[in-house]
This record gives sequence, structure tokens and C-alpha cells, in this order.
Amino acid sequence: MDGALLFQLLLNGLIVGALYGVVAMSFVLIYKASQVVNFAQGEFLLVGAWTCWWLLVEWQLPFWAGFLLTLAFMTLFGIVLQVVVLRPLIGEPVISVIMATIGLGIFFQALMKWIFGVFAKPFPPVFSADRVSVLGLEVQSAYLLSLGISVAIMAGFGWFFRYSRHGLAMRATAFDQQVAQSLGISVPRVFAMSWAISAVVSAVAGVTVGMVNGVSSALSFYGIKVFPAVILGGLDSVVGAVLGGLIVGVLENLSQYADSQWLNWGNLTQVAPFYALLLILLIKPYGLFGTKNIERI
Amino acid sequence: MTVMTPAGDFRGSYRADTTIFPTFGSRAALWAGIAVLCLAPLVLDRYFLGLLINVGTLGIAALGLNILVGFTGQISIGHAAFFGFGAFASAWLHEAFHIPVLLAIPLAGVMTAAVGLIFGAPAARLKGLYLAIATLAAQFILEDFFARARWFTGGVAGRITESPAIAGFAFDREESYFYLVLAFVVVMFVAASNLMRTRDGRALVAVRDHYLSAEIMGINLAYYRTLSFGIASFYAGIGGALYAHHLLFVSVEAFNILFSIQFLSMVIIGGLGSISGSLMGAAFMVALPEVVQAGADAIAGGAVDRALRIGGNISFLREMAIGAAIILFLLFEPDGLARRWRLIKAYWKLYPYSH
Amino acid sequence: MKAALALAATMTAALAGPGAAQQRIPVGHLMDNSGATSDVGVPYGQGVADTLAWVNQTRQGIAGRPMNVLGFDYGYQAPRAVSQYQAWTGRERVVAIQGWGTADTEALVRFVNRDRIPFISGSYSAALTDAGGKSGRAGVEASPYNFFFGPSYSDALRGMLRWAADDWKARGQSGRPKYVHMGGNHPYPNSPKEAGEAMARELGFDVLPAITFALTPGDYTAQCLTLRQQGANYAYLGNTAGSNISVLRACQTAGVQVQFMGNVWGMDENAMKAAGTAANGVVFPVRTQVVTGQDAPGMEAIRAISRVSDPTGTVYRPVHYLAGACAAMLMVEAMDTAAANGGQVTGERIQRAFYERTGWVPRGFEGVCTPSTFTAEDHRGTMRVAIYRAVVGGETSQGSVGDLIRAGTMRLEPVATVELERKRELLGW
Repeated sequence: MDGALLFQLLLNGLIVGALYGVVAMSFVLIYKASQVVNFAQGEFLLVGAWTCWWLLVEWQLPFWAGFLLTLAFMTLFGIVLQVVVLRPLIGEPVISVIMATIGLGIFFQALMKWIFGVFAKPFPPVFSADRVSVLGLEVQSAYLLSLGISVAIMAGFGWFFRYSRHGLAMRATAFDQQVAQSLGISVPRVFAMSWAISAVVSAVAGVTVGMVNGVSSALSFYGIKVFPAVILGGLDSVVGAVLGGLIVGVLENLSQYADSQWLNWGNLTQVAPFYALLLILLIKPYGLFGTKNIERI
Repeated sequence: MTVMTPAGDFRGSYRADTTIFPTFGSRAALWAGIAVLCLAPLVLDRYFLGLLINVGTLGIAALGLNILVGFTGQISIGHAAFFGFGAFASAWLHEAFHIPVLLAIPLAGVMTAAVGLIFGAPAARLKGLYLAIATLAAQFILEDFFARARWFTGGVAGRITESPAIAGFAFDREESYFYLVLAFVVVMFVAASNLMRTRDGRALVAVRDHYLSAEIMGINLAYYRTLSFGIASFYAGIGGALYAHHLLFVSVEAFNILFSIQFLSMVIIGGLGSISGSLMGAAFMVALPEVVQAGADAIAGGAVDRALRIGGNISFLREMAIGAAIILFLLFEPDGLARRWRLIKAYWKLYPYSH
Repeated sequence: MKAALALAATMTAALAGPGAAQQRIPVGHLMDNSGATSDVGVPYGQGVADTLAWVNQTRQGIAGRPMNVLGFDYGYQAPRAVSQYQAWTGRERVVAIQGWGTADTEALVRFVNRDRIPFISGSYSAALTDAGGKSGRAGVEASPYNFFFGPSYSDALRGMLRWAADDWKARGQSGRPKYVHMGGNHPYPNSPKEAGEAMARELGFDVLPAITFALTPGDYTAQCLTLRQQGANYAYLGNTAGSNISVLRACQTAGVQVQFMGNVWGMDENAMKAAGTAANGVVFPVRTQVVTGQDAPGMEAIRAISRVSDPTGTVYRPVHYLAGACAAMLMVEAMDTAAANGGQVTGERIQRAFYERTGWVPRGFEGVCTPSTFTAEDHRGTMRVAIYRAVVGGETSQGSVGDLIRAGTMRLEPVATVELERKRELLGW
């Protein structure tokens, strides 16, 4: 048993898992606030990544300017999507809403390919040091940036949901829509805000992945990783989502280790999170931190 | 089965009340439709027959999904995996045990039903979103199984299969295969309609409408939910087997998550909880890429084509059209084509009183 | 009476003559411009399409009859390719097909055999080379109508391993070098796995257990750390460029010192731009004898072909474009042979025409297309593996591929050419 390798894999798992946690956070945000399952989360990453790349390469903007503009664009993007597509579907059965988000995903995937082509494009260099050594493991600076941003986002969310008016309004809407409405909270506005924030957070993740792997249409596959993470953590818990992401990251890396050392199956890394997902669903369907749904007749 | 019955048309017996075709007109329409389809191979060319065969095989599988999603209220995002299982099972049964293809197809359906029951048992405990995600996981896990089980699926290289044959006559041309698929479609659809008027069918609908009341009335929820998965998988297996023996080649690449999404689209566009809707939805999803292609060919070379570079990007336009169709149907016609068809029929029947 | 009949006959012949001469020859062309392999499918498909259009323009098609090229983008979904094939054989009655990937090629093997239509694929799976089906390998069917231009995946890997063995000694290393196969669990990366590992053992390598990584981009740090821990010296990347880029970048970050060997579709100028300095030093096989930028008599024709879709002549053509052009030209010359002396252009005659020449270089493409030889039993066109190295000196995010090559930031360096022996027992795998 190679302790050093195991430690490095663990560390890498935590760092990549933080990225998954960011994506899972944006998913949970939408679900928590508006009860919508967003199967197009991966495409949010994609749109954010391509927008930032376009601003940096075609318009030659410095990174921070391009990044902030991307976030502004994604805010608008999230709001428009919610108003145009999701608002008419309030009250429809779950399957319809899921299909609507799937349809959005298909649409934007194809649109990005049309506009930007099928070749992977590299991101312009952003940091002076491409990689940083963390406890003996060489890590891409982009990952550390995303780690930093996700910590900042979590802290921001913590403050937002506890102390700010809009945050309290969102929590109230998630708890009981009718009571919130009767107290004067504009529920449609809360929904739009939740989609906007989710889009912005996804863009951060998308830009990070783009910086590491180059931007290509296959970026949206990161969106599939969201599901094991949110099931593990609980669908309506932001903290759970982050923890779920970390667990998925570590699980992937450890499965790679087990696979290469003992099992030699070949692709345990890809399927292990889904086996874990099924297991959790059987044992603890509401995840580690989710609230149990009590059914009333 | 809300077919308009004319005034004065009443039922004298319970048996008459539960008939699938309440009026002479609807029954005659069905026979006429089948007769017209039987003449199709004499008129249409191979390409269109191939499209109709696709509509048939995908329609059978979509019907299965509709039983699960529309009639029982479950969700399944892993239907393509069961479709693929049926395809592989039929190919494997034929190759490993030399069972004639015409027998292998129903046997593959039964095998797939068994697998569906295995997945349905734990799934019966989950509801709503959790069920959706569990079926998503099942899709990926089954895909992985297909890729690695060489003895069953031929591994990642896939497997070549044969056409069905009776007494030396092989259904290897589109013309002959069309009749085989037509026969299966008629049988499976009549079976589904029949299922819905039996006690079990009504139980499934009760589970969808209000499961707590159903449970109070003595309907075993877990049993019926699992049964629903089994029936849906049976249909998927039959559809998959027919698909395999049409293409004469099965490989794991074809049965991915996008295919599952296509089945869901067929069900939603056709109309949840409608049997004829499944076929309409399948026809729509098969026809949509063709229409987009035809449209792109029509404006090819023109100013719009040059401005948007449609010529080279036709595939993206196709994908976008599919995504947009799903969204537009959900926004403007959430009950699907079946409801639109019912409204059209009602308009004609009740004219001038309908509005 | 007899005179009248004779007159009628001559008149019909006269009327039919020019009619027949003007009738276009239908040829199918399957491409992937939008699906999973589109990053390499686009340049190859462009090469084929431009070449066929050029043949129509400058050489009046085949024996005076222009080709009716039916292009179809099937998005790497095999069922779509199969149904399009049905349309082509049912309606247009194509005589030959330029195919693309493993998915459609494998799906159509039996069909093209049954319908006797030559299929020139972009899939170089060794199983397709066993034309007679006599190699006795499991799962390999007779495929007398499947051809491709260039060495098979297995032969290309064998060639690179031969080079790797020499490279190990040339670097002054002692002991047994370690080789590992990396790729997805998919027929295309798996195709040369067995052949590579067998050859590696024969040459004295230590073969490590294969490492899997998906065909989609992702985080492959774990695979790279495993690579480093196992001490591999030579690693074969079996996937297409898209996911290879992720592995190269992850391994560069993790500080892994391995000589990566790509496959034909795993590295090209676009991948070099996307991966940046991570792609520096990767070797991969090139199907043609030169790459864009080098000179050869045949490059004149390539430039003319390039101008079909790029009149300005500024677009850089990657290695796949040239390979596509050569593949198309093989089909064109076979059709020419079939049509010679007023013959019918049918699938069978085109197939037989493939066997007529040895050391075949299409006329006008000397120095570009590697000589090919096909026989009825052995569809391994060439046993020559030209190995090039990707050299990336600096930042690649700004500027197009052409700009970077012209500036010298990226270039392709010829390393070695390995000529393998045409062994009977290596046929088909």
C-alpha cells in the first residue's frame, strides 16, 4: 500500500471535489428555492466557460474584467431562462419540469457548438505560476482559485441567507410558498434570483474547468457528476452539496487507486459514484443532510 | 379512452361498457388504418419504410415508458438501457442458443422484464425526483455492464445479428420487416389498451392519481409499482429486439442517456397517459430530424443559409430543433399531441357548438 | 426493313451514348461534423469532400462522368449511419462509400459485404484488414469490401514500439523499459491493445496493467499519479485528441515524466494548440509522407484541393486533411480503373481495381501519399509507420493554428520511419 500515493490521491480528490461541490451548490440552490431539478446544470458551466473564453480571446480583455462581465451576463441569462421557460411551468408535474430543463440543455449544447465550433480551445494563461505545490502534490492554480472562490461563496451564502432581506425571503419561500406570498414576498422574483445566482456559481465552475482542460463541448459532462454529489449530501442542503462533492471527488480518486492496484476492471472511476448513489438511495434516501419529507394525508 | 359517443348510444351490459372501441366508427378506423399500412410497402420506398419501422419499434418502447410514467406516475430516465438490454438479449439468445429469431424476440422481452423487476423493487420505495435520479444511475450502471460483459453483448465491439426467418423466408428487406413490425405493434398496443381496462390497469392509474387513497383501498403500492417497471421493461425489450434485428448490429454506444431522453420526449410530446399518444410521439420524434433536414435543403444556397452558415451546421440545427420542440410542447401543449388530436376530433363532432 | 432497324439502333445508341456519359456516379460520404469525434472528423471529412469536388472540377470526374457526392453528417450515431446507408442503396444506388468511424464501419461491415460496395473508412481497426476472414481470430469477419488508407492502429502501435525500443537504447538507459496502454473502454482505443502488449513483450518491455480514462475531458490526475507511481516509461494514448489533452495537461501538472505515444487520431495540430506545452514531445504516427509546410511534388495537388473550400489559400490544413485526400484519391483511381475501356463502374469492379496496383501512389500525389498495396487476402495497405513528434515551444492560446505554425511556436518534427514486415500471423489483430 503506497501511502504517499494514497495521500496525494486523497488531496487531489478533495481539491477536485471542491469543484464538484461548487456545481452541486448551484444545483441545490435552484432546487431549494423553486423545487426545480435543473438537468441543464452542465450546460450552464459550458455557457459560462465559452462566454469568458470569448471575452478574453476575441476582445482581449484582462482576466478580471472578462470574468466579471461573464458573471454579469450569466445573471441575466439565469433570469431570462427562468422567466421565459420555467415560470409558465410552475405547478406542472415533476416530469414536465425535468423535461423542460433537459430540452434547454440539448438546445444550448447545440447552440454552443454552432457558435464556437467543435474544436477544444485553450484558455489564455491567467496566473503567473501555472501550478502550485500543495503538501507535495502539484496542483493547477485554477483549482486553488476555485477552492478559494467556493469558500468565499459559501461564506457569502451563509451571510446572505441569515442576515440579508432577500436571503431570508428565499428561505421563507423554500419553506412555505403560500405563507411567504401572504407576507408580501414576491415569489416569482425569488425564483428568478435563485436561477441567477445558480447560473453565476456555475459559471465560476465552468471557467475553472476551462482553464484546466480547455473549453470544449464535453464540459457539460461535469453536470452529470452533480447527481451523485447532491444525493449524497441531500437535495436541499447547501452544506450537504459541498460535502457530497468532496466525497465524490475522493471516491473517484480512491476507486482509481483500488482499480489500478487490485481490481483492474478499468473504469471503476467513472461508475463508482453511481454505485454509491444507488447505495445511499437505498439506505438513506434523503442523503446525509437532507430534510426528511414527512407525508401528510 | 374518451372517444365521443353519439347521443342515444348506451351500454346494455358491463362487457359492452368496457370495450376498447366504443363506436363502430373507431373500430372501423382501426381496421382501415391497418389496411392502409399494409399497402405501404407497395407504394413507399425503402427509406420511408425504414422510418416507419423506426416509428414502430420506438413506439412500442415508448408505450412501455408511457405505462410507467403516464399511467403509474413513476419516472424513468433509464429506459434506453432496458431497450438496449432487450436488443442484446435477443442477439445473444439467437447466437448462443440458436433460438430462431422470431422466438428470441419475445424471450428477450421476458428477460428484460425480469431485469426491470429487479430494478423496480428498490425503486418502488422512492418517489419523484429521487426515483428519477436512481433511474439515471441505473442507466449509467447498465451501460457500464454492457460495455464489459463480452459474453452477453460482444463487449464494446458490439454484435452482429441475423434477420428473423420462417421456413427459409428471411425478413431481411425493409418491405418484409415492415409487416413483422406492424404485427408486433398491433399486438402490443391492443395488449396495452386491454391492460388499462382490467383491474390491474385501474390499480396502476389509482397509484398515480392518489397513492395514499389507493393504499387505503387495499392496493399494494410496492407490488404495483414494481409490476409497472416490469411491464415497461417488457415493452422496451420487445422494441429493442425488433430494433436489433432491423439494424442487424447492436452496440453499447447506441443506448446512451440521450436515447433515454428521446424516449421521454416521445412520451411527453405524445401525451402522458395516452396509448395512441405514444405512437404519435414516436412519429413526431422520428419525423422532426427529417423535416429539419428537408427545410435546410430547401433554403440551401439562399441568403439565409449563407448568413447563418446553416449548410455546414445542419446537425446542430437538428439538435436545437429537438430541444426547442420539447420546450415548446411543454409550454403550449403540456398534454401532448393526443390531447390536441382529441380537441380536433371534438371540434368536428360538436360543430357548431364547440369553441 | 433491315436498314430501318439498323438506323433505329444507331439512333438509340447515339441518343443513349451522351446520356450515359452524362449520368453522375453516386458516391456516399459519411462524416462526423458534430458528434463525439468531430474534432478530428471535421478536417478529415473536409479533405475527402474537397478532393472529390476537385476531381469533378479538374478531371471531369471519372472517365468523363462527374461524381454525385452524397455527404451526410451522422454525428457518430451508428443507427443514423445505417438508415442513411439504406437510403443510399435503395434510392441512389451508390457504388462506393467514404466512411468514417468505428461505429459506422463495424455496423455496416455485413451490409457492404452483402451489397458489394467498397467502404473506405476512417477507422483503421486491424480486424478490417482480414479480407478473407482466414486469420482465425475470434470475432473477425471476412471484410473484402473494407479498405482504409494508412497503417492500422495495431501496426502503427507496433511501429512506435519498435521506435521506443531503439529510443530507450539511444538514450543510454539500461534495464527493461516499462510500457502501459492508456485508453477508454471502447472498441477504438481497445483495437490495438492486445497487439501492442504482445509486441512490447516481444521487444523486451515490462507491460504494466492498462490504465483507463474516458473519451470525454475530465480530471485525470489520479491516472497520472498512478502512471508515475508505476514508473512507466512509454505510454500509449488510445483516445481521440479531446480527452488526450486532459491527460497531457494533468500529467504535466503532476510532473509525470513519460514518453507519450499517440494514435493517428489522438494528436494533431489542433490538439497541440489546445494542449499547449503539455503536448510537447508527444510522438504519433502520420499517415502521409509529409505534413503541411514540408515540400513534395504532390503538395501542389494538395494546395489545389485546399483552394476548393479556401480560395484565399491561407487556412492551415492539419494532418487529417491530407490523409482524407489520399483516401479519397485511392477510391477515385480505383473507379478510374473500373471505368477504363468503357467498363461499368460497379462496386465489384472498384473492389477488384484496388488489387491491381502495388506500391500505389495516386497520380499527382507523389511524395505525399504513402504507397499502398492491397491484395485479396490482405487489406493492410501499408506497413510503413511515419513517426512525428509534436514540438510546442510557448503559449498557444492566441492566434490560429496556422499563425502558430508560421511563427514557429508549434511544429511537427519527423522522428523516424519504421517499416514493419508483412507477417501472416499478425494479420487481423
